[in-house]
Amino acid sequence: MGTDKSSELLPGTLDLLVLQTIARGRMHGYGIAQHLKMLSEDVLQVGESSLYPALQRLLLNGYVEAEWGISENNRRARYYSLTAAGKKQLSTERKEFDRMVLAIQKVLA
Amino acid sequence: MRFFRRLRYWLQASRHQEDLSEELEFHRAMLNDAPSMGNTTRAREDARAVWIWPWLESVGQDVRYALRNLRAHPGFAGVAILALGCAIGLNTSLFTVFNAIAIRPWPVADAGRVVNIFALDDHFRRSGFSLEEFRYLGAHSKTLSGALAMRDEQSFRLEDGKALASWVSGGYFSTLGIGMQRGRGFRADEDTVDAPQPVVVVSYGFWQNHLGADPNTVGKQLRIEDTPFTVVGITGSGFSGTSAHVVDLYLPISAAPILQPRAAWMKDFLHSPDYCCTKMAGRLAPGVTRAQAEAELAVLHQQFRGQFHQEAHGIRLTGTAYLTTGKSDKILPVFAIMLLAVMLVLVLACANVGNLLLARAAARHREISVRLSLGASRGRVVRQLLTESMVLACAAGALGAAAAWWLPALVFRYAVTETLSFRMVPDTVVLAYALALSVATCVIFGLAPSFHATRVGGLARRFSLRSILLTAQVALSVMLLVGAGLMTRAVQRARMQDPGFTISGISIAQFDLPANSYDAPRTRAFFSQLSSDLSGQPVALTRLAPLGGGQNWTNIRLPGDIEKEGKLVGVQEVNRGYFDVLQIPLVKGRTLEDADGDRPVVLVNEALARRFFNGDALGKSVVAGKPYVPREIVGVVKDAYTSSLDEITLTLYFPISGDSIPMALYRATPGTADAIAAVARNIDARTVTTFRPLSDNLDKYLQGSRAGAAIAEALGGFALALATIGMFGVFAYCVQQRTKEIGIRVALGARPAQVIRLVLGSSSRAVLIGLLLGFAGAAGLSQLMRGLLYGLSPHDPLSYAMVALALASAGLVATFLPARRAANIDPVNALRCE
Repeated sequence: MGTDKSSELLPGTLDLLVLQTIARGRMHGYGIAQHLKMLSEDVLQVGESSLYPALQRLLLNGYVEAEWGISENNRRARYYSLTAAGKKQLSTERKEFDRMVLAIQKVLA
Repeated sequence: MRFFRRLRYWLQASRHQEDLSEELEFHRAMLNDAPSMGNTTRAREDARAVWIWPWLESVGQDVRYALRNLRAHPGFAGVAILALGCAIGLNTSLFTVFNAIAIRPWPVADAGRVVNIFALDDHFRRSGFSLEEFRYLGAHSKTLSGALAMRDEQSFRLEDGKALASWVSGGYFSTLGIGMQRGRGFRADEDTVDAPQPVVVVSYGFWQNHLGADPNTVGKQLRIEDTPFTVVGITGSGFSGTSAHVVDLYLPISAAPILQPRAAWMKDFLHSPDYCCTKMAGRLAPGVTRAQAEAELAVLHQQFRGQFHQEAHGIRLTGTAYLTTGKSDKILPVFAIMLLAVMLVLVLACANVGNLLLARAAARHREISVRLSLGASRGRVVRQLLTESMVLACAAGALGAAAAWWLPALVFRYAVTETLSFRMVPDTVVLAYALALSVATCVIFGLAPSFHATRVGGLARRFSLRSILLTAQVALSVMLLVGAGLMTRAVQRARMQDPGFTISGISIAQFDLPANSYDAPRTRAFFSQLSSDLSGQPVALTRLAPLGGGQNWTNIRLPGDIEKEGKLVGVQEVNRGYFDVLQIPLVKGRTLEDADGDRPVVLVNEALARRFFNGDALGKSVVAGKPYVPREIVGVVKDAYTSSLDEITLTLYFPISGDSIPMALYRATPGTADAIAAVARNIDARTVTTFRPLSDNLDKYLQGSRAGAAIAEALGGFALALATIGMFGVFAYCVQQRTKEIGIRVALGARPAQVIRLVLGSSSRAVLIGLLLGFAGAAGLSQLMRGLLYGLSPHDPLSYAMVALALASAGLVATFLPARRAANIDPVNALRCE
């Protein structure tokens, strides 16, 4: 019963990026994608078909919760925010990621 | 946690999917004409798939495969589903009955808060209250939001026919919250001792069947014992009553004096603080637990009894299922035996189907090997095979649950003479039981064969499991057959044995008189007139007809004994005609005379004479009866099984007194019945005399056991059929597996007899061991049945011999075809077929 992994980025990183993005405040799906695209200077272009499964996965694991709200252009949008479990998961995943990156750099150096 | 989130998601699946669609639409709209990043449909599908249990999909696949597989082998599937279905059906039916009488509370609103209330006596047995105490407890209790009292049902005469009435207190309908079809329940002011009201509530069934569902019934008069009562309400159709009997009428307890103004006990019943035993129940006040109410009522009970210097031993609250009212010690052992029997049947069916599955697995050996070698894990293949078992078990469970809808009602109609109010229909509890049973059976019969099938190689081991299952089947069916044989023989014996008195040709006459005009002196007058008018003819007068299901008891002690109370013995009040009509011979002394009426004399039976006087009782005295004074034994009569066929009851025969209307026993010759009826009508023209043969009593007495024997026979027959199928399967399989070997042996000159011995040899040992194990098990378990056997020994050799014979014939049938096939094997064909 393992969690499904996204295959487009380094495995598991999409979940991490999404968690990190909404850690700053609640945000809807489109906003998350835009935010990732902007910060990464167009390198990370996340499509619906990987973003929404990832969000559903985070919902399933209880890391985020969703509620309907009104968007900046006055439309109904679904906003995601981090739960307590999500915050904990974010810090674990960050540490794990840092450790991994460090390891890779050591190998490549 | 994830499990619950998943569950919540699927419980609201459509809402979640709408959310997702709208979300994606929003995303699309925001993108505007920016290039789409992928396919929306796929996004939706992938997002949804996150919530699916990963293993769920492959289970669906397994189920489809299993269904296809079973459809391809309809013979196997049919036998398996039928065998398991019958076994589950029997278990579920028994549980349906158990549920109806031991688990399900009264059919009233919020039944969980309603409790039966008992006072405990000095032996901590449950008993009821006096009406006075009920009123005291009801008035003072704060833990009960309402209390109600009930007295045993009584049958009353209507203008046409009879009706069973239940006496209830004024709070009965309001406390229980019984929905009414029409009208209303009793008001509190309709149940006051000072001003009894002639009002009646009729049951839905009575209204339908007896009053023709007349919409204007409420407000009309109903004549009960020639007294008009006003109908104030009709109970709702969902209310089947709070007693085991089907009650037609509900009367306020205080109305009792209206119907029986002259009854001697009436004053005590209504006013005496120690006149036992009115049943009491109540509804717990909101937030009050049973323990709290029990504690409070115990204090009130103590206070009440203390006023009258009586001892109090505590209060017990129970639920309202039928068995809580104290009948459990008689019914539960019967249930235990039946549960054991149907459980044996279930295990037998499991062994049978398990063996069939083993044979199938052997036939699928190649398929399974291929799957394993292609990389399927063993667990995966076991799961596939278990899924097939599960599909079988579920089909069987559905069949079994369906059987539980009609089987209990059918058996009860056959086995019980009176109509009972229990609804023998499965509810959710029963369906849950059937489901649990199906899953359990699936594991029992499916698991071992699946593991065996996936073990690569090792055919020899599989044989041993087959033998074990065969042995188990034979042993179990032998146990069930022995049980059936014992029950059958016992009933037969009880019917055939000499009961010590004449049954055939004897009839019972019963005199019905208007209850409200007969007080004690009038009853006595009727009795003495009847007695003297009939004295010329050989007519027995008695309180109790033989085998009528009742027995009066009295304490007895010898005059010299210092004990306050002695041993309990049976008592019969009879006239001299009793011994003549029933042909119970006098052994010593004299029989009773009409003039004995008030003299302190008794007859005893031989058993009592032996027990108390070493057989020499004549002229001695015993202290017994009411009043409790010494009475001289003037005669000894032969033992007779008048109260029970199991054993002789130690019996005292008192000269009959006129305290109540007796019944008459007479030799049925043309005209006698009319003559007796005429005599009774001469004394009081309103007398209604009814007649029935004494053999009715014997039939009724044996009916329960006869039904029990029929059930046992059905179970035994089913078990025998399963064992036969099981044996046939094993032998046929054995011949098929060893065709080549047999071919070689025949080619080398083996004769048919040798071939048959070869085929039968291995498995008949399993059958024999099963037979012996079965006998051993039956010898042990049949001890539990001792109480049902009317004195037949649980080791009755004839029953065991019959079982051995039945099993031998079954074995013969089961082996005939396989053996013939083995004997006819053509060596050339056999060797060529590989």
